[in-house]
Formats: sequence, structure tokens, C-alpha cells
Amino acid sequence: MSIVTVQLGQCGNQIGFEVFDALFNDSHCPRGLCSKRENEAYQASCKERFFSEEENGVLVARAVLVDMEPKVINQTLSKAAHSGLWKYGQHSCFCQKQGSGNNWAYGYSVHGPRHEESIMNLIRKEVEKCDSLSGFFIIMSMAGGTGSGLGAFVTQNLQDQYSSALKMNQIIWPYGNGEVIVQNYNSILTLSHLYRSSDALLVHENDAVHKICAKLMNIKQISFCDINQVLAHQLGSVFQPTYSGEGSFHYRRNPLGDLMENLVPHPEFKMLGVRNIPQMSENSLAYSTFTWAGLLKHLRQMLISNAKMEEGIDWQVRPPLSGLPPLGNMSVNKETRFNTSIANLVILRGKDVHSADVGAFKDPALYTSWLEPVHAFSVWKTQRAFRKYEKSAALVSNSQSLVKPLDMIVGKAWNMFASRAYLHQYTKFGIEEEDFLDSFMLLEQVIASYCNL
Amino acid sequence: MGRRRRRRPDPADAARALPEAIAALSRALPAAPSPETFRRAKFDRPEAAPALWRLLFRVLSPLPADGASASLALEAQARWVKSALRSQGYPRQALVQLPDEGFQGGRELLLALAWLLARGPLPERLLTQSRVRLGDEMPLCECEALASPGLPAPSVEAEGCVDIRHLQWLMGKLRLRWRNLMAGQQEQCALLGQIHAYTRGCHSDRSLGHLSVTETELLRDPKGGRQLLLQLETENARLEAALEWRRRELVFWQWMDTVLDACPPEASLPTFLPRIPKLGAGAAGLLVRELQALQEELREAVEARRAAWQAAVGGHGPEWRAARRALQTAVAQDLAALQRAWEQDEGRSRPHGPCRLVRTEARVPGGPGLWAAGVTEALRAREACLEAVLSQLQSQCRQELARLAGARPGLIWILPPAH
Repeated sequence: MSIVTVQLGQCGNQIGFEVFDALFNDSHCPRGLCSKRENEAYQASCKERFFSEEENGVLVARAVLVDMEPKVINQTLSKAAHSGLWKYGQHSCFCQKQGSGNNWAYGYSVHGPRHEESIMNLIRKEVEKCDSLSGFFIIMSMAGGTGSGLGAFVTQNLQDQYSSALKMNQIIWPYGNGEVIVQNYNSILTLSHLYRSSDALLVHENDAVHKICAKLMNIKQISFCDINQVLAHQLGSVFQPTYSGEGSFHYRRNPLGDLMENLVPHPEFKMLGVRNIPQMSENSLAYSTFTWAGLLKHLRQMLISNAKMEEGIDWQVRPPLSGLPPLGNMSVNKETRFNTSIANLVILRGKDVHSADVGAFKDPALYTSWLEPVHAFSVWKTQRAFRKYEKSAALVSNSQSLVKPLDMIVGKAWNMFASRAYLHQYTKFGIEEEDFLDSFMLLEQVIASYCNL
Repeated sequence: MGRRRRRRPDPADAARALPEAIAALSRALPAAPSPETFRRAKFDRPEAAPALWRLLFRVLSPLPADGASASLALEAQARWVKSALRSQGYPRQALVQLPDEGFQGGRELLLALAWLLARGPLPERLLTQSRVRLGDEMPLCECEALASPGLPAPSVEAEGCVDIRHLQWLMGKLRLRWRNLMAGQQEQCALLGQIHAYTRGCHSDRSLGHLSVTETELLRDPKGGRQLLLQLETENARLEAALEWRRRELVFWQWMDTVLDACPPEASLPTFLPRIPKLGAGAAGLLVRELQALQEELREAVEARRAAWQAAVGGHGPEWRAARRALQTAVAQDLAALQRAWEQDEGRSRPHGPCRLVRTEARVPGGPGLWAAGVTEALRAREACLEAVLSQLQSQCRQELARLAGARPGLIWILPPAH
């Protein structure tokens, strides 16, 4: 089944390119540590999901590119075409000549309705190329102008027009010390709207990925390109093909559907995070060997202590003893806190994957009281190695780890709102104070729900 | 249980014919135990019982056994067999009284099996269920599956309170799984269509015209065809066994008479009482009082309603007559529609169960089988009916919620958005 990606704004388009590039390069990796036949099946599965094929054999990404200015889209198109192996469709882009000045309301109330027909037409053409549609990826930033406002509008439209298809929004969480003054307003408006119309919000935090680049990849001058590549690596490690079940050697046909079924069936809990291990520069790869036991142990502790990378993990954080409630009720201000999960999905790729023991993730102490590990935990595997990593593991989790960042953003936005700062930029284009209040209410509810696990 | 006509048997013949008959039966049924087990069962030997429980489970299941149902514990299977037999009207009390562990009562189980065999063509029905299918098939209706008792579901003990979030999670999971299933089915249809279009003209049977997936696989991978061949050979062997069973079954029934004789006499027609959970005396008294109070309330409400209605009716002459006429015509229309639907179905004598999918351009009127367009039309009509019923139920629910919201002035109710 195929996934159609909608790349929105500068952020969405740059990341989207890196994602397709990573997926393509991985599926055409000559090694992969498995038989030729297996490799071909893996390639075919990846291709069907993310690419369509032209007559001359060149792969075309199943994507629609949207931006209000042409510069980034043109860069993206040419970078893709440069490889000669895959590209974007010539007619899959929509752009205008003007920007939107980081104004969420302008993106949502003006750009959206004005260009609704053109954008949805492009999406429809892409959907028609698919034999069967699994769902949509929508890659967007949360705090910018075009990506966020327009993204919220497009997602709502997708909900209306393709109500039976699944939607996962890849949201880029802005830096805590971001440059855009109104980024917190934009963030809360985006999140509240997406919570209503999307099925899952997979959050990528800029701060976390930045640290990965600095500490693990040893990059001195971190550019957005580096950050996007790390992001693409994480996404690829989740959505590349995996076997459909224990003991099966067929690749699962609908990973998006299976992921959603396991992680976000509850309408109040839609926020997902991704962790990856190991993550390092390709130069260091050749000198490292890992065991599944070691990787899984680190991954579990990363989950519990809410660490985003395998360095600097706090090993003091422990799950609460069974039967006892976690220490105190969750107060957002506590520094090191045990991160309770609702549901987890572990994805293992590489050598001897069938010998990997994930028992530690089935510990009921990791999970909230109302969901047992048999319902809350699932694992996907494939022998085929991901990129150059002999063994790699990814963890997608629905847990409390985003509560603190969310609470911070809501707090800052509320402070601004209380003094009515910059509101005229929004009310000018039809986003009234009630809309802000609705957003605050929804997000406070989300925070409360996650805190009460 | 009916008795077959007695015939004076020749001892030598009987000695040979019976084992052969039982052997044929054992080969004709799926997952049947050896003839030796049957013999042991007559003498009520404990080792015979588990095999017969499993056989009855397999025979009574509405769907062919899959991994999940086959791995059910013997106890669970025994309990399910008892309830399935009871729902089919099995008369013998002794079977119900057998312990669930499954190591006793071989003779009763043998009688139950014979009862099932006597009721209808059991081996043939099972063979139809599990026959090797060469075509791509799609079920036309699910009446058989709907009518039979479902397979036992893992029982979940709700101890005390259940967290509502858990229920919401499960509901959401069910919905998502449903959507995924739909998407998977659509994908399968799209791919089947491609295969059928691609292999047009390849089939030796002109009326079919194209290959099915199984047939395409046979061409693509002849080694895999060996598996299919084995399946066909097994099926053939079972068919032959079934034929042989039909030839020899008389001697089996004579033997079953002796089995029945060996049983202790049963009390006259047992009635199955529903199991009432034990209430304490206090609880029972409370219940009785509550029921009486409810009955009083109902009677008063009915009388009030009737009086009001009669007042309304008595008052308006021509308006009431017009309303009544409108009502009568509406009812007559509904009845006529039902009648038509019934007649249509009867006339066409729709086939049940799975049918082979054939993609064809030729318009062959009056040929065997159905056009997909006709089937989808019938399904759409049924969907419309169900949607109407659903929206009626939803509006009833909404009215009820509104009533509840008004009834308790102290509480603030936040109703779900109507959509």
C-alpha cells in the first residue's frame, strides 16, 4: 500500500527531500546483509510504498510539494533530479510568489481557502497513481507561517475528502529559543487544529536532533541539512519494510495502519516520539560493533529517563516498583522523572534479529495502569540491515515525554495572550480570541490526560 | 434417537464390516481419531474422550480450524461443544453433566457424534467447507456464519471497576483495525483485477477466460504446485472414504444401537433450566420489591399514556382521519417493498457462500452466476436500510441524552458534538 507525502513550507520540503533520499539510498544499498532475493523483496516493498515508476525506470516520489515562495521548492526539485535515480514529479508542486510572513492566520485563513482547489487537485492526482492508498504523511513545521497555518488547513481538508485514509503529521518542534516571536502562538494553534483532524502527530524536536548532531555525529557547524538528515534517518528506520509477523518472511503491507492501530487508537493520546539507536557518523560505524542486548538496554533506559540519545543517559531513573504508584503524582516541574508510556513499538533491523530479546519492554511497570503490555507493546523485525548499520533499533512511543515541552509552549503562549500581545496579526485574518481559548483548552486537556497516566 | 430397522446380522460379516465402516468414517472426517478409539469409547475408556471432544469441536465449528481455535485448551473446547450441541437441540442430559476437563464420557461423546451424523450429511458438509479452491472466491452472503454460534472468545474477567480509558483504547483499536481491513480488502480487489486483466485469454476454459491467483502461481512456480497436488490428493482420499462410508454405514448404526443399550437409562425429557446466579435472601427480596414497584410505575404510565392518546384521538375528526390514512399508506408501502424484496430474492434463488470471481467483457445473459453490479446494488439497498435504522437509533439516543440532561438540574452536561 502506498503513502502520499505532502511537503509543506520550507521546513517540510527540505526534510521531505532528505526522507525520500534516505529511503531510496537504503533500499538500493548493495549489501544489506541478506540474500539477493530478500533484498529485492525489500526494494520492491519500499518502492511500492513511496515511489511510482516512469517508463524509463526512473522512480518518482509519491509527493506533493507546497510552498508560498518558489526558492526552496526549486532547490528541492533540482537536488532530487541531480541524482538521476529518483526525482519528484514535474507537476507535483504548488508555489506562489509571495511569502506569508510567519503568520499562521494568513496561512490558514487566506492561503488555504484561496489555493485549496489547486492543492487538493495535486494530491488527488498523486492518490490516483496509487493502486491502494494507506494514508498520508504531512511534513510541516509547527511554528512557522506557511507550513503551520496552511498545514493545519490542508490536514483538515484531507480529513474531509479522504476520511477513510490515515493521516500522520510529521511535526517539527521549534527550538526553545527560536527566532520567531509568535512561534508559541503558531504552535498552539497548529497543535490544537491538528489534534482534531489528524490521526497521529509524530513530533521531531529540533533541540534534541541538534544535540544528536553535536554529540553523536560530531558535526562542528550544524546546518539544517545535517538536522534533516538525522530526521530522515529516524523516519526511514521506522517506515522501511518489516516482516508482517513473528516467523513470517513477507513484508507487511500497511505499516502506517499497523503503527496507528498499536499506538494511537485513543483519541486523547496522539502524540508520538521517535528514538533511534545507534546513531553516529558513518566514519565511526566501521569501528563499532553492537549486541542486541546492549542496544535494547540503552533504548529502554532512554525511554524511561526521557533521553533522546544514547549519550548522557540518566541510569538512576528506575521504573516504580509494581503495585506502588510512581513517586508523587506527575508534576511537570520535576527534573528527572520516570517517563510512563501508554504504548511502544520497537523496530529491529539487521543481523541475528530473531535472537534479540525484547522482554524488558514488556515490563508492566513501564506502562500506565490501564493498559497491559500485551496490548501496549509490539515489535517489528527484519533481517535486512538499514543503511550501513549492522544492527539498528528504533522506538516509536506514545508516552509522557512530550508533556514538558508542550507545557512550556502553552505557558509561554498564555503569558503572551494574557497581555494581548501581537493578537491583531491573527484577528486581522479571522482567528479570533475564542479560537485561541479553544486551543488552550484542548491542549490543557491533552497535558492533563498525559499527566494522569 | 431414531432406531434403524433391525436385520439379523451374520457374525462373520459383522466382524469384518464394522471396523471397515468405522475406518471409512474416520478417513472421511477431518481430524478424526483412529477406529480403535471408537471401540474404546463404547466401553467408556477415559483415553478415548479427549480425541472425541476435539473431533466434535472440529465438526461443530462454523469455520475451518485455524491456529487460534485449534490451540484452545481441551476444557474450553469441551465447554464450547456442550453449548453448541445444546443450541442445536441435543437431548441427552448426560453429556452436559460430563466434567469439562475432558477425560470422561467417551460413550456419551460417541452418541453425540452419531446424533450429528444422523441429522444430516456431515462428512459431505465438512468436505464442502474445506474443499480446495482453485479460483479467487468472494463470499456472497454470510448467513451461515451468522446463524451458527461463534467460536469461544478469550474471556476477560472484569474485577470490579474497569478504567474507561482502556475501553476507549479498545474501541479505537477496533475502529482502526476495521479501517485497515477495509483498506486491505480494497487493495486485494485492485490487485486481483490486475491479475485477471493481465492473464486474459490464458485459461483453457473459455467461459472463465482468465487465470486465478492459484492458477497463475502454478504457472509461475511449478514446484509450489506440488503443494496443491498434495492437497488435491488428500481431498480425493477423503471423498473416496466418504463414498465408502455411505456404502457401509448401516452396520455402524446397528453397532450404535448396542452402544445406546450399554448406557444407563435416562430420565424422561430433561428440561434445561437457565442457571440463576445465587442471590442472598435479602437481595432476592429487594429485587422482588423493585420489580413490583416497576410494574406499578409501568401500569400507571401506560394508563396515563392511553388516556392522553384517547383524548387526542377523540378530539379531532378530519385531521385525525387524514393522519390515519397517511399512516396506513406508509405502512402499506413498507409492506409492499418488503414483499417485493422477498419475491426478488426468491425468484433469483441466490447462491450462498463463496463464489468464484470471473472478469469478463462478454454479456452472456442467463448464464450461471451473478453479475457483480446486481450484487452491489442489493448490498447498497441493504446499506441504505441499515443507515436509516442507525440514524433512527442515534436520534433516539440523542433524545434520551437531552432528557437526562434536563432531568438533573444540579449537574452540567457536556453533550458530544452532533455530527
